[in-house]
Amino acid sequence: MTRLSEFAERVMEASRKAGATDAIAEVIESHTQQVRFSNSQIDAMNSWTENHLALFVAVGKRVVSSDVRILDSAEAFARDLVETAKRTPPSKSYGGIASGKFKYRTSRPDRKLVQLKGPSKFALDAISAAERAGANNVGGTFFVRHERVGLASSGGALGSDERASVDLSVRAFAQPEASGHAVCCTPRLSGMDARMTGERAGELAVRAKNPLHGGQGRADLIVEPLCLGSFVQSTSDMMSALRVEISTSMFDKKIGKKVASDEVTLVDDPTKASTTARLFDHEGVPSRRNVMIKDGTLKTYFHNTSTAKRFKTKTTANAGPLTPTAFTFAAQPIPFHPIVVSGDWTVDEMIADTSHGLLLNNTWYTRYQNYATGEFSSIPRDAILAVEHGEVVGSVKNVRVSDNMLNFWKSIDALSKDSEEIYWWDEAAPPSDLPTVRARAMNITRSS
Amino acid sequence: MHGLAMSMIDEDLAQAILDVASRSTPLLAEVRLEDRIARSTAVRAGQVNSVSSSSDAGMNVRIVLPSGIGFASSNVVSKAEGSRLVKAALSQAKKGKRKYPIALSSESAVRTGWEVRQHKPLAGVSVDEKLEYLRSIDSAVVKTGVKVQGRYYELKDWEILGYFVNSEGARIRSFVPRITMGAYNLVSAKGETEQSLMEWGASGGWEKKDDWNLLEVLPDEVVMLKNQIEKGKRVGPGKYDLVCGPEVVGIAAHESCGHPMEADRILGREMSQAGRSFVSPDMVGQKVGSEYATVIDDPTVPGTYGYYAYDQEGVKARPRYLYKKGLINEFLHNRETASRFGIQSNGSSRCETYLREPIVRMANTFVAPGDFQEDELIGSIKQGVLMRSFTEWNIDDKRYNQKYVSREAYFIKDGELAGPARKCTLEITTPGFWGAIDAVSRKVELSSGECGKGDPMQGMAVTNGGPMIRLREVSLR
Repeated sequence: MTRLSEFAERVMEASRKAGATDAIAEVIESHTQQVRFSNSQIDAMNSWTENHLALFVAVGKRVVSSDVRILDSAEAFARDLVETAKRTPPSKSYGGIASGKFKYRTSRPDRKLVQLKGPSKFALDAISAAERAGANNVGGTFFVRHERVGLASSGGALGSDERASVDLSVRAFAQPEASGHAVCCTPRLSGMDARMTGERAGELAVRAKNPLHGGQGRADLIVEPLCLGSFVQSTSDMMSALRVEISTSMFDKKIGKKVASDEVTLVDDPTKASTTARLFDHEGVPSRRNVMIKDGTLKTYFHNTSTAKRFKTKTTANAGPLTPTAFTFAAQPIPFHPIVVSGDWTVDEMIADTSHGLLLNNTWYTRYQNYATGEFSSIPRDAILAVEHGEVVGSVKNVRVSDNMLNFWKSIDALSKDSEEIYWWDEAAPPSDLPTVRARAMNITRSS
Repeated sequence: MHGLAMSMIDEDLAQAILDVASRSTPLLAEVRLEDRIARSTAVRAGQVNSVSSSSDAGMNVRIVLPSGIGFASSNVVSKAEGSRLVKAALSQAKKGKRKYPIALSSESAVRTGWEVRQHKPLAGVSVDEKLEYLRSIDSAVVKTGVKVQGRYYELKDWEILGYFVNSEGARIRSFVPRITMGAYNLVSAKGETEQSLMEWGASGGWEKKDDWNLLEVLPDEVVMLKNQIEKGKRVGPGKYDLVCGPEVVGIAAHESCGHPMEADRILGREMSQAGRSFVSPDMVGQKVGSEYATVIDDPTVPGTYGYYAYDQEGVKARPRYLYKKGLINEFLHNRETASRFGIQSNGSSRCETYLREPIVRMANTFVAPGDFQEDELIGSIKQGVLMRSFTEWNIDDKRYNQKYVSREAYFIKDGELAGPARKCTLEITTPGFWGAIDAVSRKVELSSGECGKGDPMQGMAVTNGGPMIRLREVSLR
């Protein structure tokens, strides 16, 4: 037991003694460093220290949760919250929390990364490498993240976890409308290659020079991991059982049905070594690999114990934060680390096999007309390379992918052998492992 | 949970930390202490979905040196932690290695306090009262007889108590309560669906919800969506006159005027995340729209979701005329960007919480009213479309190519509304949009939203809006 899990257990026990029938206490200590750079120089260095206690209590079906900064009087806070629960009207759909004898693996964060001094070096290396590759203006961020967690639940969960990672995002410009974007995300300091990341962004920027206005109509899309990350974000989020329940999902009533081409298998695997590897979810259920889409067929939604009961199934160990965040509803099951399983193509083979298409480095603003049907559009940014008759023939600008997200997944006919862990801002989040894919005959529009 | 309205922040602690920071003789040292309480209540299909709250307190230190900016924050509140933050921020600022030394605009060191008053304090509203309100909305929606799935309604409120000091002598206390409501409805009819994700927000107390009139607005919304499904027809691709309602005008003002006029974006600081701008520093005075295109960003509109009296650098807020009669007029500035332009800040520096660095942000962005009656806008159109509200939208990272798809729209024929137009799509450039306006109505209406910018992403309370506007001869489909 660690200091944090002991603390969590004390708070959980205080809740139970006060009358809670279910209680989960999660204590999180995090420290984050950031180097921000733009115009090829560091513009700010930031650091954040956050220590929080999140507490969930239920008295029968009367349920409340709260998040506070860690206080000396945490047990008194727990007693107050239980009294609040007693006065709260019941939530009839509440299905309880996980119970059992849980065993966890051991986390082994990279101590070199935790003790890293001088993170600015990585930013400066990335800038130099991008400029050597031909960029004349470089921006991005370098993050060092370290988090300790302790969790205890009245269902028997008692665990601690420690995570550390670094991630670098580099956007390089060779002209005002010619840019490339590359990232490197890793839980090991030895895995951080700032020079290669900068070089890749710079090379893409050079390839994107002198873009022409793109045309409208159908085109095959060769979608690089960073761009795919944005599509995976909204797709995997819609696999949350709560999103299905509130009708903001295109996957309602689609379990066991085709939602993608036969080539597509999508899993969520927080047990894999990655920047978001974790030992347990926010209920304390040991993390596990879940196959979400198998050979194009939807196998399950993301569940916590309560949503699983409503859907007459079992939790997938994807319980999300105990209180709502900027990006999640309260009690929303969430993906932790989506992975699109690689194929057997190379990107060069995809290009050679494409008669009319676009290679997309990145995108943003993926927005839906109707989550229930999946109509969306997204605006590619950074290198948009035109592919004609098996060759890259130049770059384009000012185009938009305007199609249906289910159609996108059903139109994928090729996936690359290579994949990479990507994370960028909140467009391609949470971090995911993705290959390059090709989707046939997607609809492209532009301003008139 | 108790409220923060009558609470006190430890101002002596802020001063003590500032004293430590000032020893390093920076260009500027700032210390901010903050207490915040947040509450959330949600109902799904008429049943309690969640009741949650959070309580936080913390502080930040920002140190500006010619070589760089260092920012350190923590939710441990003590003098020892403050000293640690000073050390960290100073070290970070020294490692900045700026090629061009940082300078800041010269501003008055203000000593004041400001607050948003609540007629019915949010802290005094029980969970029962909130749930009853949400359930009454749900009942009103159900009573329409329209088949509505989802029906997720969520109330959130915040109280934020702040104290800001800087090494130039500024001392500013602030208290802001905010309330928001989110509504998610999916309407089914004839085997098809239409979706509506709506948000309302205000600065003030529980009484603010009454302004939204949701017991009528949300039932009307689902009936409208059913009507769109059952009677709506697609717009044939072509050129039309288009009347945009305040919600559509607001999103355009936010996306293709407010964002591209942020000076930090224009100078490239957001280049790797929120992007750059089609506007360059030398474009003040250049034409971007017709004479009817005047867009204002004004943090000082009382009761609005984006209201503030002083920004996060202690600069007094004021209206900013971003586009004025079709010309690029004034960028949104903080002290660093203003200095680069040789002017004073116009008070646009904001941060989501004490944990994040302040950056240039919008507040309440809207098109200035004109002198047309709303029916005059429609009455002169032979063949066109009225787009009242939107669903899917986006814009590229230079803020030049935008798309808006209608949620509620109607055909206009010979000056009269002529039935629902379904999923009308406007895909247009920024000068194309602002240059096509030839008439603006009198009444400004604002919608609320959360604007995303910064890294880590900072969601910011804003409103967008305007009167109704008429665009001539734009391409729709």
